[in-house]
Amino acid sequence: MNVTLSLLATKSAAKISQILGRGGGALPGVIAERLDGHLSGKLAAGLTGVIVITGTNGKTTTTKLIAELLTAHGVRVVTNSSGSNLKRGVTSALIAAADMKGRVPEAVGLFEVDEASLRLVAPEIKPDHIVVTNLFRDQLDRYGELDTTAALIGEGIAATSAQIYLNADDPLVASLAKYAKNSASVHYYGIEGLPVNPVGMHQTVSDSDRCPVCRSRLTFSRIFYGHVGHYKCPNGDFVRPVPEVVITNVEEADRSGSKFVLALGGKRTKFTFPLPGTYNLYNALGAVSLAYGLGIATEIMRSTLANSQAAFGRVEKIEIAGRTLCLLLIKNPAGFTQVLQTFVIGREAVRVMFVINDLAADGRDVSWLWDVPLEALAGSKPFVLTAGIRGDDMAVRLKYAGVESDSAANLSEGIDALIAATPIGDTAYILPTYTAMLMIRKVLAGRSSSMQAMPR
Amino acid sequence: MSRIITIAHLYPREMNIYGDMGNIHTLVKRLQWRGYRAQVKSVEIGETFAWDEVDIVFGGGGQDSGQLVVGADLLSHGESLRAMAKDGVPMLTICGLYQLFGREFVTSTGKTIPGVGVFGATTRAGSVRMIGNIVTTGDFGELVGFENHSGQTILDAAQLPLGRTVKGYGNDPRSHREGAMRGAAIGTYLHGPILPKNPQLADHLLLAAIKRKYSVNELEPLDDLLERAAAKVAVSRPQ
Repeated sequence: MNVTLSLLATKSAAKISQILGRGGGALPGVIAERLDGHLSGKLAAGLTGVIVITGTNGKTTTTKLIAELLTAHGVRVVTNSSGSNLKRGVTSALIAAADMKGRVPEAVGLFEVDEASLRLVAPEIKPDHIVVTNLFRDQLDRYGELDTTAALIGEGIAATSAQIYLNADDPLVASLAKYAKNSASVHYYGIEGLPVNPVGMHQTVSDSDRCPVCRSRLTFSRIFYGHVGHYKCPNGDFVRPVPEVVITNVEEADRSGSKFVLALGGKRTKFTFPLPGTYNLYNALGAVSLAYGLGIATEIMRSTLANSQAAFGRVEKIEIAGRTLCLLLIKNPAGFTQVLQTFVIGREAVRVMFVINDLAADGRDVSWLWDVPLEALAGSKPFVLTAGIRGDDMAVRLKYAGVESDSAANLSEGIDALIAATPIGDTAYILPTYTAMLMIRKVLAGRSSSMQAMPR
Repeated sequence: MSRIITIAHLYPREMNIYGDMGNIHTLVKRLQWRGYRAQVKSVEIGETFAWDEVDIVFGGGGQDSGQLVVGADLLSHGESLRAMAKDGVPMLTICGLYQLFGREFVTSTGKTIPGVGVFGATTRAGSVRMIGNIVTTGDFGELVGFENHSGQTILDAAQLPLGRTVKGYGNDPRSHREGAMRGAAIGTYLHGPILPKNPQLADHLLLAAIKRKYSVNELEPLDDLLERAAAKVAVSRPQ
């Protein structure tokens, strides 16, 4: 089918869907796939460049940081939203950007792509650059196992001639270099050292601590979180690659962000970065690593990172009744552990509400709650509420971790109770799964004047 | 002098996926809440293990790559494990280690990993991934969990299953049988993890252990309202 006809059909579908109040979403992409499986490729061919971000955690934040870097560099960006990172979501974003003749504006395509979808998306849109963040077990049951996920990403990489930016500190991510057609196109980023582990918590989430070549257990000289750190195979089969883009030293790190020294090809620059947590340092590194590859000036990187804000639902702060509610999306054990470590553990009288759903976008399986070291909360007498479809599962998890909690009948009541337990001027934390986060934003949108509009 | 129960945890680094560690937390807490001391000892690859001190054996599931490494090592403990099973030591194995507690596991590439033969069962890697919420019924009433496996387990005619599948797959897509039970040894595909939301099964294992070790014939009842509420929700969720 010709491009104009496909676009006519899909753009009308998007319009009708909006009129019906269902949002644009991935519907145009779904229809486009039926009409012309190669529409995304035909449209993407008109872009001046294509960048893809994939990995388990940090895709959305890294994508947002890159978008800000490109904009500051004077480049226009066509991008997808985080909820639409399958092939149809990428197609939808391209359809929205194109005119009826299939012409896209002079812009770079920047797409967050689901780990299992890269192999379907890459042959179509032919990325010039691929950034991989990290690989952790995810409760999204469709993949089964982490090694399978890595192989799926590898297939996507092998289908391109892209420049590849890999997290040197995650052994499974670093091992993806073998899928690149040309070793000169592989670039690594990493962290040299962190201040002492902020709260001395047990590092229980270790999903991939085996040598990708011989399967022996890797030895770690440094662990920053989970299986992310400095490692080598005891048999010499695999070693952490030396990164070109490195955080050499973190001078300060707390809940308001961090100050660090970044070395770009040996030249050191001081950065301030307002997104807290080790995981966000890696998101910044992924973004900067790509920016360095594109030749964006260090000064632009420095000022962009200094002014960056969290993505939707990720350390999103909402002012309500004189208190701050901080939304911290949780999707899997590694991310949940990082969020706890950064915001909750080691603080007296902290106020938290966990909201656990088990819809398709959250993952149907809630077993992963047991892979999170919630025992670390037990000593500090936190005020804890549970809510969501599987709120009772969370309550049981907390009970066996030695943490008392109350269950909220619904989100609205939970928010009321959280506000009541929080002194004016203070902060409370809400840790929701993906669909729970969308529901909470809806409830809060009616109540807070500070809240930004929902993203498209 | 408090009484102590020792739990052997098989290969916690390789075989601990989908929250299976929660089963250990559950056994330990439910012992402590009743005034027992609990001691957990890890069985690690390549190391010897003092089986005679063990009152309960637990093993979880893992990735396929872990299964290969573990399979070889487990054989070195096969004789001890079979003798203990015969002797009535309570055991709970989930998914990957349930498969390796059978006679053999045949991988997708046709490679045979011999099992320790506690259960009269054989498993073959299949092409269908059996994923979803699962509810079974049997000697322990209703059990609820989440399964995620492609191995299909076929039980010998003389081997009893743990339960019948009411929702979900179980051992394979056709038989409606789930898990295996021989004496005090139980194998199952249920993650979730299984014990927190099915406390009657946790208590069955604990009672078998304290009967054997201390000739105590009952367990103090606990308040399981939260556990039951969570189980009720889990049962109501779509497959």
